[in-house]
Parts: sequence; structure tokens; C-alpha cells
Amino acid sequence: MEDQQNHAELFSADDQEVPSFWDRHRLSLLLIITVIVTIVFTTVSIVLYDVSGTVQLDLSRPGYRSISSQIDHDTTIDEYSAFGTLDREAIEEFIALYEEQAAKAKAVDAFNGDPLNPELLELVESSTN
Amino acid sequence: MHTVIRFIIAGIIVASGLLVMFGLSSARAQSSVLSNEQLSLIRQNCQSTKSTLNQLHMTDALLRVNRGQVYEALSTKLMDRFNARLSNNQLDNKATVSVSTSYNSALNIFRSNYKAYEERLSDTLKMDCSADPSGFYWAIDDARSKRERVHGDVQRLHRLIDDYRSAVNDFLLNYDRTQR
Repeated sequence: MEDQQNHAELFSADDQEVPSFWDRHRLSLLLIITVIVTIVFTTVSIVLYDVSGTVQLDLSRPGYRSISSQIDHDTTIDEYSAFGTLDREAIEEFIALYEEQAAKAKAVDAFNGDPLNPELLELVESSTN
Repeated sequence: MHTVIRFIIAGIIVASGLLVMFGLSSARAQSSVLSNEQLSLIRQNCQSTKSTLNQLHMTDALLRVNRGQVYEALSTKLMDRFNARLSNNQLDNKATVSVSTSYNSALNIFRSNYKAYEERLSDTLKMDCSADPSGFYWAIDDARSKRERVHGDVQRLHRLIDDYRSAVNDFLLNYDRTQR
């Protein structure tokens, strides 16, 4: 009877394993990993945003709000289908669409002029003076 | 073996000499241009110049967005689709594909040159022109040359737009000839 009692005590002591360090800190570990993953992904997105040139197209940045309303939203053009037979009519349809869009693209000689000329900015004495 | 080492050493000496000469000449050129009167003029017009640059920065950003959309649409919604349609009909699209490839590469160059220009102008706007008028002047000078490069890219894109139209025209002439 006594032997049986001792055996039962020993058995129950073996059964209650001491939790390991990782078992005890599972939640903390999960939180730390989540924060690290978030930081890594946020850093990668910001780097891509900057390196890809998207930042230059983002007029919702502070300082650009005043001009963001002037973005030309009417840029929808009739897309030309990549499928279907190609006869003279289909080619002429393409030419009409292309000429319309090409005229729009060439209408503005963008970035012309010399607004950064030091004389215009009055950083040097004008040569005409 | 000794001859090779001598050649390498001579090469290094010549390259270093050229670098020093280039550095000295550019430094001399920069310092010789800006006199004390000019530096004081830059300091005097510092705030008004910054205000003008700020306006230019914003209008150029708007121009980049609006022009970029038009150039992009021309490539993705028209050129690429016409090339694909020619290909789907087993027709010769070498000429149009060649022009559209050049156009896409010019568009990429335009994007990267605009990025370089915008970054330079942003850096210039952050500078303290009263404390460093010379640095401010040369930063504007650099931004100016970068902007000229962007304008060159725009002109190249316009030429390629015309080239693609010519390629389509040539295709149409050939098409008519083969249909007869």
C-alpha cells in the first residue's frame, strides 16, 4: 500500500514538467517578432516609395496640397484592343486614336525655358545692365 | 611582371594627376566666378529666390504628374496594344516594336532624370542661402543643368512619338501593297 502511494507521488511529479523559457515567454516573443516584421516591412515600403520615384508623383505630400487639385484627371483614352483581326479599318481606327493622344502629348513643351537662370533669379548682375 | 607593375603604377599616377587637375580647375572656376559683390547679392535676394524656387518646384511637380500620365498612356494603351495586335495577326511588327522599345527606354530616362532634378531642387530649397551663398548658387546651377536634361528627354519622347507614327504609316503602305 505504501509502495503504491510512493509510486503515485513519483509519477505525478514526473508528469508536471517544468515549462521551458520559450514556453513561459511565448506571448512576449510573438509580440517582439510582430514588431520586428512590421518595422522591416515599413522600412522596405518607404525605401521603395523613395527609390522608385513614387515620392515625386505624390502630390498629397505636405506643401503640394495647393496644386493637387490641378491634376489633370481627364486622362482616360479609348484603349486600342490587342485582339481581333487587323484590316485597313482597324489600322485607321488606331491611327485616329494615336494622333489624338500624340497631339495631347506634344501640346506642351514641358520643362522648357530657363527659370533657373541666375540672371532671372537676380543672383548675378544682369548682363544687359 | 615588373613591366606590368610599372604600367599599373604609372596609370595610377596619371589618373591621380588628372583628378587633382580636374578638381583644382573646377574649384578655381567656382571660386573665380563668385565675387564678394555677387555673394552679397545672393544673400540679399535669398528669400525672394527661395520663394521663386518653391513655386517652380510645385509647378514642375504638377507638370511631371500630368505629362507623365499622357506619356505613360501612349505607351501602355496604344503602342503596346498595337504591337500585340500585329503579333497576334502574325504580321511584321519589328519596326513598331523597335520604336516603342526606344520610347519606353526614353520614358525611363525621363523618370530618372526628373527624379535627380527634383531631389537636387529639394536639397537646394533646404539650404541656408544666407550662411552659404556660394553653395546655394552652385546647387541652383546644378539643378538648372538637370532641368535642361529633363527638357531634352521630353524632346526625345516627342521625336519618338513621331517616329512611331511614321512606323505605323510605313506598315499601312506595306499592308496596302500586299492586299492588292
